[in-house]
Amino acid sequence: MIRRALLALAVLAAPLSAQDTTRGVRIGLTYDAGTRPGVVVLPSRGVGADSLRAILQRDLGFGDRVNVIDLDAAAADAINRGANSWPILARLGAAASVQVTPTPTGLHLAVYDVAKQVTALVRDFPAPPMTDARGWRAAVHGLADELEESLTGTRGVARTRVLFERNKRIWLVDSDGEQIVAVSGGTGIHGSPAWHPGGSMIAYSSINPWQIVVQDLVSGGTRTIAGGTGVFISPVFTPDGASIVYAHGVDDGVDIFTIPTAGGTGRRLSVGRGSDNTSPTFSPDGRRIAFMSGRAGHPEIYTMDADGTNVDLLTPLEFGENAYRASPDWSPDGRVVAFRSGNGSLAQVLTINLRDRSLKQLTSEGANEDPSWAPDGRHLVFVSSRSGSKQLWVLDTETGRTRQLTRGAAVRNPAWSPRLPQN
Amino acid sequence: MRPAVVALLAAFLLSGCLASKGDVALLQSELHGIRDANQQADATQRARVDLLVSMIQRSLDSVRVVSQRLAKLQGDVQNDHYEMGRQILTIQELTGQSQRRIQELRASLEERNQQPAPVPAVPGDTTRPAPGGPGPAQLFQSSLDQLRRGSTTVARSGFEELVRNYPTSDDAPEAMIYIAATYAAERNQAAADSVYGLVVQKYPSSPKAATALYKRASSLRTAGQPAAARGLLDRIVKEYPRSDEAALAREQLRNPR
Repeated sequence: MIRRALLALAVLAAPLSAQDTTRGVRIGLTYDAGTRPGVVVLPSRGVGADSLRAILQRDLGFGDRVNVIDLDAAAADAINRGANSWPILARLGAAASVQVTPTPTGLHLAVYDVAKQVTALVRDFPAPPMTDARGWRAAVHGLADELEESLTGTRGVARTRVLFERNKRIWLVDSDGEQIVAVSGGTGIHGSPAWHPGGSMIAYSSINPWQIVVQDLVSGGTRTIAGGTGVFISPVFTPDGASIVYAHGVDDGVDIFTIPTAGGTGRRLSVGRGSDNTSPTFSPDGRRIAFMSGRAGHPEIYTMDADGTNVDLLTPLEFGENAYRASPDWSPDGRVVAFRSGNGSLAQVLTINLRDRSLKQLTSEGANEDPSWAPDGRHLVFVSSRSGSKQLWVLDTETGRTRQLTRGAAVRNPAWSPRLPQN
Repeated sequence: MRPAVVALLAAFLLSGCLASKGDVALLQSELHGIRDANQQADATQRARVDLLVSMIQRSLDSVRVVSQRLAKLQGDVQNDHYEMGRQILTIQELTGQSQRRIQELRASLEERNQQPAPVPAVPGDTTRPAPGGPGPAQLFQSSLDQLRRGSTTVARSGFEELVRNYPTSDDAPEAMIYIAATYAAERNQAAADSVYGLVVQKYPSSPKAATALYKRASSLRTAGQPAAARGLLDRIVKEYPRSDEAALAREQLRNPR
C-alpha cells in the first residue's frame, strides 16, 4: 500500500519537477529542479545606482522565486577592478547576474547567463528622474517584475501596493513596505478598502454617515455610490469593474447588494433572513461570490452564484461547534479561498481548497486575520499581532517565509492591489 | 308712605320676638339632626369613594403587573421565535451539510459496488453480478469535481449521463442546473436558458425550478426584456413563495429598474 502511494507520488512529482526546471528558461537560464536560481545584482555607477541596486535586490528577494546572492567585499572589489567575473559568479553559485544602470532617460538593464557566459538580455526602461521619488521607485519595481519574469517565467509583484485601515483613514503602502501615504480624507471614519481591477480607483466604506465611497487615486476625487439608513460596509468591485458588491443592513440583518460603479440603485443578492452576510469576494471569472454569513448561528464562509442563487456552505460546519470563520478572499488562480478562522487571540489564517474542501492552516504565531491575496496567487498580506501590535505581514504560501510590511500604529483590513499599470 | 313701611317692619320684628324658647330649641334640635344626617351621609359617601378609589388602585396595580408580565412574555416569545429561527437555519445548514455527506457516501458506496469482482475461486463461477455503470450519486460527484476543475465539457457530459440514465434521481434537477452552468461558463447563454427552461418543465416541484426561473429572468433582464423578466419573477412569487428566489423576486418587482 505504502509502495503504491510512493509510486503515485513519484508519478505526480515527475511532471512538477520538469515544470520547475523549465520555468526558468525564459532567457535560456538553467538551474537545478526544485531550487531557486541564484542571482547576483552587480554594482553599477551613476546617480542613485546604490539605491537602485538595493531596491532591486529587495524586490527579487521578496518575490521568493530567486535566491539573491550577496557579493562579498573581495568579489565586489575584483569585479570592480575589471577582473574576469564569470569564475567569481560561478563560484558564488549564481545562475545569472544582473546589472542596472541609471541613464538620462531611465534605466538600463543587462542580464548575464553565468553558465553560458553570455549576455542573455539587454533592455532600456523609461523612468522619471529620481526627484520624483514615487514615480522613480515605481519604475524600478516594474523593472524588477519584468526581470523576475525573464528569470523564472513568472511575473513578480513588486509593482503593487496594499491598502489598509489605520486611525480611521485608508492608507497605501508599496509592496516593499515603503512610501506609506494616507489616501482618504474628510470627517468620516473610513474602512474596508477595495481595489478596482484597473488599479486606478478604490472603494471603501465610510461611517458617520454610512456610505460606500469610490475614490480616483489619480485625481483624488470621491463619489458616494450608496448610502443612507443602516450600515454600508465591505465593498468589492466585480472582476470587470462594472459593479460594486457590498453589505447593507438596517434592522433585520445585513445582506449583500450590488450596484453599478457608474451609479444606480442597489439590488439585493443574498437572502439572509435576519442573519449577517458580509465580506463578499469574487471568483476570478466573476461567476461566484464567497462571503461570510451568520445564518448557521455563527460566522461561516459560503459561496453563491453572482446573482445570489445556488448558495452553498464552503467551510465545514460541525454540529455543536461555535466556530468563527470570516474575511474570505478568493485566490487569483481560483483554486482556494483564504479566510480567518477563530476569534480574538485564537484567530488564524487558513485556506480551503474549492475542489476537495481540504483545509490548510497558514499561520500559527500570534493572532492572524484579514488575509488578502497578491496578484501572483502565491503571497498573502494579513494582519498579525505577532510583533506586539496589529501590523501587516506578508506570507509566501509556498515556503512559509514571512516579512513585516508595516510598523507603528495598529492597522486593519489590508487589500493587495492588482498589478499596477505603468504611469 | 314712610309711616306705613315703618309699621310693617316693626310688625315683622315683633313677630320674631314673640317666638317661644321651646320653638327655638325645637328648631335647633332639628337643625342638629339635619346636620348629623348630612355628616353621616357624607361619611358614608366618602367611605364609598375611598373604597372605590382603593379598588381602582388595586385594579390598576393588577393591570400594571399583568401588563409587565405580558411585556416580558412578549419579549420571551420574541426571543424564543428568534432562537427558533436561528435553530431552524442551523438545522437547515446541517441538513444541507448532511445531504452533501450522504451524497458523497452514496457516491463512494456506488463506486465500491462497481469494483470488479474478485477472481472466482472456482474457475467458471459467474454467479457474481457483472459490474454496471456508475450510479447517480457517483456521476453527480465526479461531474461536480470536473466542474470545480474547470472542465466544463467533461462535467456536462457526466451530468447529462446522470439525467439521461437516472431522470427520477434526487440529483437530477441540480444536475440540470449545473449543465446550464457549464453552458453559461462557455458564454453560451442561449443554451443555458434552454436548459433552465427544461428544469422548470421536467421538475416543477423541485426547489431548483425556482432557481432556474430566476436565472432565466436575470438573463431576460440583461437582454433588455424587462416585461418578460417580470412575468417570470411573478411566477416565482406565486409558485415558489417561500424560496430565496421569491424573496429576491419580490424586491425586484417592487423596485423595477
